[in-house]
Amino acid sequence: MEALQTVDLTKHYRSGLFKRKNIIALEKVSLSIEQGEIFGLLGPNGAGKTTFVKLLLSITHPTSGTATVLGHPLGQRALKEQCGYLPESHRYPGFLTAVDTMIFFGRLNGLEEKKLKDKAHFLLEMVGLKGWSKVKTKKFSKGMLQRLGLAQALVNNPKLLFLDEPTDGVDPIGRKEIRDLLIRLKGEGTTIFLNSHLLSEIEMICDRVAILNKGKVVRTGTISELTTQKLTYIIQLSAPVSDDLRVRLNQSNFSLDFKDTSLFVTLRDKSELNSIIDTLRASGIGIESMTQQKTSLENYFIQLMKGENER
Amino acid sequence: MRFLGMFRFTVGETIRRGTLIFYFGIATIIIILFALGIGHSTTDPDIVTIFGSPFAHISQPGANIIEFLLLQLHSLSIFWIILFGIFGVAGLIPGMLEKGTIDLFLSKPLARSELLMARALGAVSGIAINLIYFFLGIWLIFGVKLGVWHWGFLSSVVYVVYAFVCFFSVVTIVGLITRSTGFSIMLAFAFSIISWGLELRENGLYRLWDNVVYHRLLDALYYLTPQLNAMLENSSRVIGKNPFIPSPAEFTYMPYLYSFFSTSLLYGLSVWYFSRQDY
Ligand SMILES: Nc1ncnc2c1ncn2[C@@H]1O[C@H](COP(=O)(O)OP(=O)(O)OP(=O)(O)O)[C@@H](O)[C@H]1O
Ligand SMILES: [Mg+2]
Repeated sequence: MEALQTVDLTKHYRSGLFKRKNIIALEKVSLSIEQGEIFGLLGPNGAGKTTFVKLLLSITHPTSGTATVLGHPLGQRALKEQCGYLPESHRYPGFLTAVDTMIFFGRLNGLEEKKLKDKAHFLLEMVGLKGWSKVKTKKFSKGMLQRLGLAQALVNNPKLLFLDEPTDGVDPIGRKEIRDLLIRLKGEGTTIFLNSHLLSEIEMICDRVAILNKGKVVRTGTISELTTQKLTYIIQLSAPVSDDLRVRLNQSNFSLDFKDTSLFVTLRDKSELNSIIDTLRASGIGIESMTQQKTSLENYFIQLMKGENER
Repeated sequence: MRFLGMFRFTVGETIRRGTLIFYFGIATIIIILFALGIGHSTTDPDIVTIFGSPFAHISQPGANIIEFLLLQLHSLSIFWIILFGIFGVAGLIPGMLEKGTIDLFLSKPLARSELLMARALGAVSGIAINLIYFFLGIWLIFGVKLGVWHWGFLSSVVYVVYAFVCFFSVVTIVGLITRSTGFSIMLAFAFSIISWGLELRENGLYRLWDNVVYHRLLDALYYLTPQLNAMLENSSRVIGKNPFIPSPAEFTYMPYLYSFFSTSLLYGLSVWYFSRQDY
């Protein structure tokens, strides 16, 4: 069963005087997320990432389209009982200590009073707030509040965790800790849905991603599907290419680049690879290795957005 | 459990709000002043003294001065619930709707109606705790020191709290629509004045414009909103008659009954509106 499935989920906000202005936040978004995976939703500011999560948790109501979360249609109590949410902006009542905040949110989740205190301490320790549990949250720094937010989202042992920019404001060591925590949760079977701008982070932990732009999904796939440039290869040769051979290879249509014994080729068609290799082998040059070139998710994202915006 | 969690949290929040602590402080000072100052004259046990000087005769015919004193304390409390009550709790609804707070609340498995009602009930309870503290304190002092156990005074707090429950329905819907504490406070004040104006419309607002439609409109407004002024006035009539008013009116349940319907309507509308909003 999918952890989450949306069909043509659409949200238009009405704003302005007499609600005449129509803002398209999401347009026919259909996504499906498997149980147990870490899924990343990327996109520039205002793409609709936060709106997507808010729709699933009924914080905002969809204009059209449907969705099921853990098999439940939107708006059901059972759905929220099994989800955890770290919102993009979250505020905590400053007069409560970290432990009391956790207990309060535990109660809102309908958890048993007896176990709440131990659970609260356990989770606060897990997010690195061990020494801070008895401190009022108004004294917390931004990164500490972020950790508290994460602990709060875990209080009901969610099957599906929605995290909107979870590492925002957290120091590099803290980020690593959070990444490790997410991987551990995944190991325990939790499905994680992540909104983030930090592409390097997404690249490190997400199994699959979707890229959203102006409310529409423009790409989905695994990280390697998106970052592998299918037709760019690096061929390591046993000897440098002679000038004569270079001229001959350059006569073909594919783009070539030489650097000592490395050859970079970008093809239009996979079959062209064989003809290059044949030419090289016929000239007595051995092939030592051949790899497909990868780009970073960041490069891919920037290229994609450039293309999208030109359209 | 969930409802209770939200309710307890809200009561805690009202108590921690500065204005209510201030209210608590003033109530305590008044109670202590009465505890220290009020007593019987040593020469004549029927004479009530305040800090040693004779104040009144308990069995003064026709003009029960103790009741008069209790009536004054009662109207003081009314002044407070309007003033401190609004300042203390009008921000609770808009505060809940702030970005970052509402996201967390709505993501929990708690129906919006439950959330709103727990919030409103919590706010009202915060005020109720303060009022009951004051009334109970004064009642005890008068009982212990003068032997006057005035049950009418003690029971009048029920009517005052009821009036506040009704009043808060206006604060709730205004808070939901404007999402602003400042507006909520302003409109709550405006309503307490309008309620008074509507109560006396026959001798006031009616005369502004001699038009039947306008008059019926005022009537409709009077019955569709909680009759705050009438309820507060009636709550004092449970205590007794003010000896300095020539022909005081009798207590009537009608404003409480009418307000029950208008309050239910306003809370119902609030839930409906809240459930439809995007946050
Ligand atoms: N409550 C609202 N009323 C009106 N418009 C809204 C509201 N919330 C969001 N929007 C609009 O919807 C669009 C998507 O916003 P959203 O917050 O989902 O973007 P996002 O992808 O999360 O952006 P960011 O990366 O900055 O967090 C934006 O154009 C935004 O202006
Ligand atoms: Mg966002």
